[in-house]
Amino acid sequence: MLRVVVLASLLVLSSCTSAKQPAESSPASRLTGVWVAVGTFEDPAGPPPWSNTPWPSNPPFTEWGAEQSRKLADITNVVPCQPGGPLFAMQDVGIFPIEILEAADRIVIKPENGALPRRIFTDGRSHPNDLEPSWMGHSIGHWEGEVLVVDTIGTSGRTRGMNGVGSNARVSRDDSKPRLPTSDQLHLVERIRLVADGEILEDEMTITDPKAYTEPLVIKHYWQRRPDIEVLEYVCNERPRDSGDVIQTKEGGP
Amino acid sequence: MRQAAIVVALLLSAVPASAHHSFAQFDRSKEVTMSGVVREVQWNNPHTWIQVIVKDEKGRTTEWGFECGSPNMMSRTGWKRTTLKQGDRVTVVGNPLKNGRPNASLVKITLPDGRVLGPGDAPPPKPLTKRS
Repeated sequence: MLRVVVLASLLVLSSCTSAKQPAESSPASRLTGVWVAVGTFEDPAGPPPWSNTPWPSNPPFTEWGAEQSRKLADITNVVPCQPGGPLFAMQDVGIFPIEILEAADRIVIKPENGALPRRIFTDGRSHPNDLEPSWMGHSIGHWEGEVLVVDTIGTSGRTRGMNGVGSNARVSRDDSKPRLPTSDQLHLVERIRLVADGEILEDEMTITDPKAYTEPLVIKHYWQRRPDIEVLEYVCNERPRDSGDVIQTKEGGP
Repeated sequence: MRQAAIVVALLLSAVPASAHHSFAQFDRSKEVTMSGVVREVQWNNPHTWIQVIVKDEKGRTTEWGFECGSPNMMSRTGWKRTTLKQGDRVTVVGNPLKNGRPNASLVKITLPDGRVLGPGDAPPPKPLTKRS
């Protein structure tokens, strides 16, 4: 009996140890964890030296892109709880964390701010020829040394813009930044790596979208490793009262 | 305004703490300040609401709702799910709805123990532990 207890204890101890010390053998396992973007509302760039690239103030819009930008900035066009795409998931301001998880054939990025994960297939597959457009698109990844290179296409073009909180509408007179739409022609290439001894995640994004922009945009966003934070459940339409006219209690009544 | 102890003041525009919807329904040029008793804290993601019962000088009561940031952001700025409980007396400052209904975007709240907390805006990153 004592032997069984000792063995069981060792097994429990062993599993606890391995849980606290994830394998460090692969670059992907080192990306695993919870991350929070370094920017704030007051300072979207965040502190140097790992500062986010500012969104362009005068983007190289196509005619279609400029029109979409105007639409995104109009509060009357806001669709509450519209999902974000892959770029909105990797936003610059540390509002909601992301969680990166590794499996044998894929890396999954789960943003807290929505139901949809990003699945990055790392098993060598190609993008399908008959790709079904989706909110997050289809992502494949490979490693170049310590850099995860992610290639994403197949977005539906129905997402919020890539920048801007508040459903992409201008919400105060001091916010005159142009909203940045994406289309179903989006081709996103990301180079994701660790810097600052693994405390900071760098995501260099090359955004090519010929329907919306006449030339690619290249930006870097930085995320801080936060093992003290958990990604929480998020239900966008729970107790919705954007109009302010409905007060819902736990019982569901006004 | 029907409510007592409401102070309206000009406010420098603040960036809204929303990621899932616009805060355009709130008047960022005005602040209301009131004291009342907490009826309920709705600790929801993406937006927490604090419901406060406010009594005016004639004894009439109104329930005000104050919208905050997400539980994750609030937790990173000093909040816990249990920071407030039903019956706590608080003083609250918020940007009211433009339509006059008794809801506001929380600016700050004074807790029974005197601490003052904000709505849970995204806080800056923590200092790095190692030199890079």
